[in-house]
Amino acid sequence: MTSADKHDMGNGDEMIAAEYVLGVLSADERQSASSRIDRDPAFAQLVDLWEQRLSPLADAYQQVEVPHSVKEALNRRLFSKAELSNKSGFWSSLTFWRSLTAALAAALVVYIAVPHFNLEKSAPPGLVASLAADGSNVRYLVLFDGTHGKVRLSHISGDRPAERDFELWLIKNNNAPISIGIVPVGKVVSLKLSSDLKQKLSSGETFAISLEPVGGSPTGQPTGPIVAAGELKNI
Amino acid sequence: MVESPLAITSSDITKLILRVAMRDRVAFDSLYQQTSAKLFGVCLRVLKNQSEAEDALQEVFIKIWDKADRFAASDLSPISWLVAVARNQAIDRIRERRQPSVDMDSALNVIDPRPDPESLAAANHERRRIQICLEELEKDRAEAVRSAYLDGESYDELANRYGVPLNTMRTWLRRSLLKLRECLER
Repeated sequence: MTSADKHDMGNGDEMIAAEYVLGVLSADERQSASSRIDRDPAFAQLVDLWEQRLSPLADAYQQVEVPHSVKEALNRRLFSKAELSNKSGFWSSLTFWRSLTAALAAALVVYIAVPHFNLEKSAPPGLVASLAADGSNVRYLVLFDGTHGKVRLSHISGDRPAERDFELWLIKNNNAPISIGIVPVGKVVSLKLSSDLKQKLSSGETFAISLEPVGGSPTGQPTGPIVAAGELKNI
Repeated sequence: MVESPLAITSSDITKLILRVAMRDRVAFDSLYQQTSAKLFGVCLRVLKNQSEAEDALQEVFIKIWDKADRFAASDLSPISWLVAVARNQAIDRIRERRQPSVDMDSALNVIDPRPDPESLAAANHERRRIQICLEELEKDRAEAVRSAYLDGESYDELANRYGVPLNTMRTWLRRSLLKLRECLER
């Protein structure tokens, strides 16, 4: 055994993630790993990496016909209550997913029409940018909701250092960055845009997040490093 | 009847999950139709009991309906994400249960697995790599990794089956996982 794997074989996060995915942990250990996935994006990413590594093993699962009664029972359990309670999340889900589609556009260049629906038909205007940068683990998904003039940010990974703020900037061509505001702390947050700024947003421009003193840049221009950036795309 | 697996591709499943996140029931039905046989296979293999697997499958699809937007935050392929939801559900369930039950009547309904050529081609490389890497492990350890993953066996159960102390099994599997990672990243 090398000293490297001796070091790795403790109860490090990497090993807990691997054991969680492999499925060997006890009920309690699984419970605690699962709640960490929900609140710790770095740990969640380790788990995803192991899911990815081991996923070819899942080919060995055979397909087994499911009795009809299962879907009927499922419909009863799911849709008698879901129909009453799930009215609010539509726009957020829609934008989130359309943004995902945009992010995956390269991988899914060929659009294969799925019968029964047309995604474009009911789509409000919007822009999406996936923000990331080399040497930084900060990732955000930014959505501009044209209907409400709001920018929504989904925090995907990367912590902000203590006593610092993230500030969001719009960069048009090579002009000086325009501050959109301090990014509030949270998983999904939003910033209201002035009508002036709203006019300025269009596809092809860049959103960037810089690290700033608490309260934002004192100069009106970014003073800290860019921790994530990405180009706006129509969705 | 379950639709021929030949009909579905990875990008189709992505689009269906996408629409499920938008609360589209037609998409949900279609996703169920396209993937429930595979996910049921997962539940059945882990739980080894028809009615428990049926219950677990319902829970799996309730999670998919509720958490479809979580798929965006992960880098997993859509089918890997779905299988992960099913495996986690089934394994959590079996951990809660004291005695594993054995009822393999259910194995009679196995559908001839015919994955579509596109996803086969894409998956082939990955599959070959993990096979090669598993072959680099000692035979019984590779076996233990496989049955832990596929059957959801715990350290305890594996230690019993192989007749080794719990800590030995833990060391085996941890070392095997690290070797696998090292080999896959080579």
